[in-house]
Amino acid sequence: MPSSVSPKSAPILKVTDLKMHFPVKEGILLRANKSNKAVDGISFEIQPGETLGLVGESGCGKSTLGRCIARLYEPTSGSIEFEGNDITKLKGRALMPYRQNIQMIFQDPMESLNSRHTIGDILEEPYIVQKIGDKASRAKRVRELLNIVGLPTRSITRYPFEFSGGQRQRIGIARSIALNPKLVVCDEPVSALDVSIQSQILNLLVDLQKEFNLAYLFIAHDLAVVKHISDRIAIMYLGNIVEESTGESIYHEPRHPYTKSLISAIPIPDPHRRVKREIISGDVPSPINPPSGCRFHPRCPRVMERCKLEAPLLRTVADHQVCCHLDDL
Amino acid sequence: MLNLNPQTLKRLRRFREIKRGYYSFLFLAGLLVVLSFGELLVNSRALLVHYEDTLYFPTYSDFRPGTDFGLDYDYEVNYRELQATFDEQGSDNWVLMPPVPYNPLENHAPGGVFKPTSPSIDTRHLLGTDTTSRDILARLFYGTRIALWFSIAFMLAVYAIGITIGCAMGYFGGMFDLIFQRFIEIWSNIPFLYMIIIVFSVIPQTFTIPAKIVILLTVMVLFSWTSMTYYMRTETYKEKSRDYIAAARVIGASNTRIIFRHILPNVLSTLVTFMPFTVVSAITAITALDFLGFGLPAPTPSLGELLKQGTATLRTAPWIVMSAFGTLVILLTIVTFIGEAVRESFDPKKFTTYR
Repeated sequence: MPSSVSPKSAPILKVTDLKMHFPVKEGILLRANKSNKAVDGISFEIQPGETLGLVGESGCGKSTLGRCIARLYEPTSGSIEFEGNDITKLKGRALMPYRQNIQMIFQDPMESLNSRHTIGDILEEPYIVQKIGDKASRAKRVRELLNIVGLPTRSITRYPFEFSGGQRQRIGIARSIALNPKLVVCDEPVSALDVSIQSQILNLLVDLQKEFNLAYLFIAHDLAVVKHISDRIAIMYLGNIVEESTGESIYHEPRHPYTKSLISAIPIPDPHRRVKREIISGDVPSPINPPSGCRFHPRCPRVMERCKLEAPLLRTVADHQVCCHLDDL
Repeated sequence: MLNLNPQTLKRLRRFREIKRGYYSFLFLAGLLVVLSFGELLVNSRALLVHYEDTLYFPTYSDFRPGTDFGLDYDYEVNYRELQATFDEQGSDNWVLMPPVPYNPLENHAPGGVFKPTSPSIDTRHLLGTDTTSRDILARLFYGTRIALWFSIAFMLAVYAIGITIGCAMGYFGGMFDLIFQRFIEIWSNIPFLYMIIIVFSVIPQTFTIPAKIVILLTVMVLFSWTSMTYYMRTETYKEKSRDYIAAARVIGASNTRIIFRHILPNVLSTLVTFMPFTVVSAITAITALDFLGFGLPAPTPSLGELLKQGTATLRTAPWIVMSAFGTLVILLTIVTFIGEAVRESFDPKKFTTYR
């Protein structure tokens, strides 16, 4: 097997043992005795121009992870290195240069666009905030951006509510590439859209990636969408990455029991083919009181005594990184 | 250039469609303009004096001694008497008086006894005089002017403080929010009337009337801003957690920019609907204080003071209480109509399309 999993060029983003715990305030005194361990010890790398797909059930912490990397949250511990520089604890002005390089696309474009601003205002704002160019050059650039994402120039004076969902997401994308970033965190950019529009937006993202050599952290809960766009896929469960590999390999040879059940749950458009589904029961446990040992053990079909006591570490199985105690993965 | 959001335009259009509120608004705006130039309509000084081929405009000029116009005294000219004198002489000299030739502070008692006189066209006291022979129309006119400007100033000050603190509480949250919430709870429980009585018993009598009015305004504002913070705080909390704020933060926008460019414009429309009602309550509050004798310092003309006089002389001089009451009713109704129309036209249900 070619070692396409870990090419040893300099990663654009390196996340090491990242933890994001939100304090949970309880009782009369509002003491923070407990914490919501939304992201609990995650490590991965993204190469320049590469797409890492991040998949997980809702509530597994994938959006939190994305927001930590876009530095909307300050992580509890661990480190985020962008091109070798630690940006985990940077604040205010020190963070400004990285703001240009790390951008974000949000799930609901109606929510992520200020309804009181015109499209022109929205697309110009990154340049005003970062103090780039004068009024004329900014206006020119805004028209270019609209052109790139395939919207008419007359949209400049329009307001977000005058556009359809897909068009709004194009505006969101235009804003995210306005500053020529190197990494874009896409937080479920197509899950709020119609299926027919989804593919258009995905193709736009792929085109932009080729044109501007963008790296994506692509967060989704839809495996089919992620497979379409990702070079590598990481599967998240309750604040941890349980498996990571190339898209093809995750699809055809899932190793972790959780991944197996996810893959087997994908519907196949062939009424005569019967698949043996690996159904897991129960709900995702609360990240405030995560299960002992392996986070997945209460729902795992192949649970062992060891899983309840000892948390497994990521280990390499063939070209996969898997987080499981089982020997015959 | 005033670049209005289409939603705001829609709201303004709706406001204009609600005739009752719109005409009330035009009436109030017109009233404010008329009141601002009130010296030209209700004043004991002449508009125009023609004396020895020279024109004088005494309304906005300095005080003129009687000797300037050939009279035998050097205190301020009594223009009503001057007019009578010129008429008697039958010369080219003449005086043009305003429609109501009295000012609100002068006691006009030709008989030498201060007493309320009933409305009469002959004496030009169109609404009569009060218990100290002051013209009621003049006092109503200037009383309304002070009440309206006072209420608008009160509203602006209350909103400025309430918005700033409420927004800061919602935006920064945490300990700041917690401490300010407790502070507001304590502060809003201090009885405001006692504070006014205490403050006015402490400040020296030597203070000028404008200074006393400003002190009254300050005390009222200091004890009224708290209710605004509740709306601002929750609205800001709500807006702050939305994705467009996150998007602004990702591009590196500062807190100031986020608050002023993103949060405030989205929050203010809620507050606009409260504004007329704040004015109504301010007019009521200042009138009530005047009625109790703790409001605007005497001899400032005020509606509350007229009501007080009127209730004391209800049987002997009913025109006092009638005119004061009538004015108050009209004023409050007009502002309430405006408030209703604003609330109606800003109603989010009118614009919500459920997707």
